Amino acid sequence: MPRIKKARVPIRIDMTPMVDVAFLLLTFFMLTTQFRPPEEVEITLPASHSEIKLPEMNTMTINVSDSGKIFLGFDSARMMESMFGQPNRMRQAVEVKLESLADLLMKARIMNPKLMTMVKSDSNADYGTVSDVMDILQKTLITRFQMVTNYKTT
Amino acid sequence: MAGVDVGGGGGGGRKKHGKKKAKKRVSIRIDMTPMVDVAFLLLTFFMLTTVFRKPNVLEINLPPQDTKIEMAESNLLTIRVDEEHNLYWNIGFEIPRKLKFADLRKFLVEKAKENPKFVVLIKIDRKSKYHTMIDIIDELNLANLGRFSLAPMTDIDKKEMSKATI
Repeated sequence: MPRIKKARVPIRIDMTPMVDVAFLLLTFFMLTTQFRPPEEVEITLPASHSEIKLPEMNTMTINVSDSGKIFLGFDSARMMESMFGQPNRMRQAVEVKLESLADLLMKARIMNPKLMTMVKSDSNADYGTVSDVMDILQKTLITRFQMVTNYKTT
Repeated sequence: MAGVDVGGGGGGGRKKHGKKKAKKRVSIRIDMTPMVDVAFLLLTFFMLTTVFRKPNVLEINLPPQDTKIEMAESNLLTIRVDEEHNLYWNIGFEIPRKLKFADLRKFLVEKAKENPKFVVLIKIDRKSKYHTMIDIIDELNLANLGRFSLAPMTDIDKKEMSKATI
């Protein structure tokens, strides 16, 4: 036989609205999240006041690391595969030599003429390397390209 | 998994057919705590991993390689940067003058007001850093001096810079 209990008043909070909101937020974040793929190279971007956003598709990115190494990457796995072979399919970018860059750029543009060129260089990379890359762009008739920067507020 | 508490059923001593007999309304209470826990866990995860801000881009149009543009010397503003990140400027064939990076914005806005037709020639030493170029182009865009070109730095430029006055 149980002992006679004291009349305890149970406190019950209706958590339904909170849970509703939580699930709403959860679905929102789940649907909007795009996972950032692992970077091939660590690049610290310089900052500018430009408000043009990075295009979502059809981009070709030339990464220049602070040690002056050049990496070429495409946003689609299919382009990566046809340019650098099956093993590099899922990679973000592949290191390339400055001398072979011109050929690769030309090849890529033939495969997808809609490609937009991004130059993503570390802010501490030597200007010389970037200047070489720009020379190659000019030679391969890519006269319009974008430089990836962070947004500067001041 | 989540426990299902069947309340009001009369406790543990209930027989199999007792349920059918008693047509009492059975209130089912599901313990939602673990589900809510998981939901919040996922919520925090997605909130923390979401990147709202995409990087911006600075657009650059290069002229095709073999274009030559004739222009008045007085419309040419040359900005040179040496490897120590010192800034020099001159108009036409003047002797270069030094400029502080912090004063660049004011300087360019002034020049743009003076003559909006200025074409800016940027010459940066190969040993300088990439962000100097971005900084200068950015300031030019802010000052609405949209016409600029990048040229390699030669020994003549270096000689010019050494003649610079303060």
